[in-house]
Amino acid sequence: MNRFFWLALTLILALGNAVAQDAPAPQYGGEVVVSITADPPGWDPSASTSQEIPRVVYHNVFEGLVRFDRDGNIVPALAESWTVSDDGLEWTFTIREGVMFHDGTPLTIDDIIAKFERARDPDSGHTHTAYYAPIAEISGSGNTVTFSLAQASSSLLYNLARPDSVIYPAAKADTQRSQPIGTGPFRFVEYIEGSEVRLERFEDYYLDGVPYLDSAVFRIIGDPNTRFAALQAGDIDLIGVALSPEQFLQVQSDPNLKGSEGTATTEITLAMNNSRGPLANKLVRQAITHAIDKEAIVNGAMFGLGTVIGTHMSPAESYYIDLSNTYPYDPERARALLAEAGYSDGFTINFELPEPYNIERRSGQVIAQQLSEVGIDVELSVVEWGTWIQRIFLGGDYDMTIIGHSEPRDINIYANPNYYYKYDNPVIGELLNQAESAQSAQVQLANYQQIAKIIAEDAVNVWVFSPPYLVASQNDVYGFWTNQPTPSINLTEVYRAQ
Amino acid sequence: MFTFIVRRFFSALISIVLASMLVFSALLAVPGDPAEIILGLNASPEALAALREKLGLTVPAPQRYLNWLTGIVRGDLGESLNYQKDVSELIIDRLAVSVPLALGAALIACFIALPLGILAALKRNTFLDPLVTAISQVGAAIPSFWLGLMLILFFAVELRWLPAGGYVPWERDPLGTLRSLLLPIIALGLGQAAVMTRMTRASMIEVLNQDYIRTAKAKGLSGRRVVMIHGLRNALVTLITILGLSLTNVFIGSIIIEQVFALPGLGRLALIAIGTRDFPLLQGEILVYAGTIVFLSFLVDISYGFLDPTIRYA
Repeated sequence: MNRFFWLALTLILALGNAVAQDAPAPQYGGEVVVSITADPPGWDPSASTSQEIPRVVYHNVFEGLVRFDRDGNIVPALAESWTVSDDGLEWTFTIREGVMFHDGTPLTIDDIIAKFERARDPDSGHTHTAYYAPIAEISGSGNTVTFSLAQASSSLLYNLARPDSVIYPAAKADTQRSQPIGTGPFRFVEYIEGSEVRLERFEDYYLDGVPYLDSAVFRIIGDPNTRFAALQAGDIDLIGVALSPEQFLQVQSDPNLKGSEGTATTEITLAMNNSRGPLANKLVRQAITHAIDKEAIVNGAMFGLGTVIGTHMSPAESYYIDLSNTYPYDPERARALLAEAGYSDGFTINFELPEPYNIERRSGQVIAQQLSEVGIDVELSVVEWGTWIQRIFLGGDYDMTIIGHSEPRDINIYANPNYYYKYDNPVIGELLNQAESAQSAQVQLANYQQIAKIIAEDAVNVWVFSPPYLVASQNDVYGFWTNQPTPSINLTEVYRAQ
Repeated sequence: MFTFIVRRFFSALISIVLASMLVFSALLAVPGDPAEIILGLNASPEALAALREKLGLTVPAPQRYLNWLTGIVRGDLGESLNYQKDVSELIIDRLAVSVPLALGAALIACFIALPLGILAALKRNTFLDPLVTAISQVGAAIPSFWLGLMLILFFAVELRWLPAGGYVPWERDPLGTLRSLLLPIIALGLGQAAVMTRMTRASMIEVLNQDYIRTAKAKGLSGRRVVMIHGLRNALVTLITILGLSLTNVFIGSIIIEQVFALPGLGRLALIAIGTRDFPLLQGEILVYAGTIVFLSFLVDISYGFLDPTIRYA
């Protein structure tokens, strides 16, 4: 690919964006068919951390007290406002009045209290109970709910905006996985397993004016070629997940389709077992970072779509810091570091690629090639997903693997020495705690960026690149999210217009 | 004949029980825990323990197998861990996709393969035989998923006659269901037709070389009578075997085709069950697969008994 090609591509993309911004006025009615890639494990975002669940239900079906908007700002949802005491220990949320659940029952203060009692109970099966650990007591009066914290928590509001924090009727907490009932602009109407999910406009939604659509269908199409053919054939209207870079390029040349490129919170991470063999040696991990030409991977595996990164943060995050030059591509330096670490003849290492993820597998193959050029003998293998989770992710039994971490603001994983990186550095935990209790946006920003720098310098992993959020749709579909501050194909403001 | 059928029936039953034991123990050896997969990454150990308890995974494996077996006898296949629905209900829903798909494909295969195979066998000394053989060779070499994609690109993307995948339930729009099944049936049936054509041709040639065909011809019977009465009737035993095999093949082949065409059939359900380690669902699925295959070969065995008395008394 020559420079001209990329210049032309950039121009086409810029033009595409300009056209997208020039949208006609919203119109009511109609239906949009959106593809997803697989059946998620149920539909309750507080029963599973699968990111496939919020893609369909976040804001569309379920809402929390607050939510993320399309730019990643935290905005009111079921709470219309909130106040914080000076010591940061009392958070009082004023709950919107007249909110109805999809089953026709009104939202009550008791539903909210029950939800968060469950959320902070480690035995309830609720996901991420740690998010709610600072909450010591929940009380309600009138139309307010108050969280009394044991210690100040600067990330509380952020955690309350996450998909885990959505509210459903207290009496129906156990059936949300199969029969989701929320307060969002769309009702969950029908689920044909393996085929599609149907949402319909919720007439009693508390906000006037939205949604625009009468109904929406999320169609489950596992095969990427079929998915794209369905878009080209007009059977589906929007691909908002797993659109490959080459498909995105094809969109540009199809007069019936349009594409958009935005930011996502995913970091494609070459994860290393910091407790095992040569990888336990920081010099070796630095050498590996020096040996990898991230730019070449973005060009080779992603057709140039993606941002090279240097730590566990993507450009979509408000704490983003560009550390991609901490250990730049320099094979000579890599060889020297390997020699210094006592591996002048190289070594053999297992590198396991997760079967379901195409971008990761492609990138992994390029990385294996690049590592072999500095004398590291890479044994490549592909691992089935269930095995990956069990043995690698939970068991920590691996040398190297590669995976996209798409959860937003998840740098806290580096404070956990049992996490599959097996990176043990108590300083990270201390910085996080400081950030949590400081009640100062500046301290929080400074500490998060400090953590980002420490893990980059320790070369815990190689953070290769952050893939862009790619969307392709029919020309007459407007109003979808072009960035992914949190995984969600949010249809609240989507409409069709000629 | 009756004892023959009873004997075959019991051997079929034993095959199914053996298959279920094999499946159950194989699944125990598969790494991966359904609770971990349902909860996803970053799940806390407490949440995992709570869900395992809820899913009944703390019960010892032999006990689980026995519970499952006694459940089957009562017609209860258990509840899917992932979908929180009865396994039997899920499977029955899927049959509405998979059965028409398999039957349609087998039907297409027969309609193409029998006439073409017989034609090739009869016209062995003309250009027809090598032509049919060559086409069927190519047909057999093309993978069904690729053929499926080509059909999608042509009939759905280019011509926009048929949907590119997806499924409309029968009760919503029967015509829509047929439209969504047509391309997958063709993709699955054509490959099978190619294989069956070659088998039909081979078995027909074998029969035509037998002494009794020469005798029939020597008796002065017409060519048509020789082929239809003496030839086809004797080739039928082999052809029934081929048909049984091909039904099994399309049934198994539909796993890939359902994936390509995004059809919610048994095959996709099985893949999802494997991916999510949904053991009750997977066990139920494999039982249905094993049961179908055993049942088909049972039918083939029985038909042998009717077609060829020497098999009946063997």
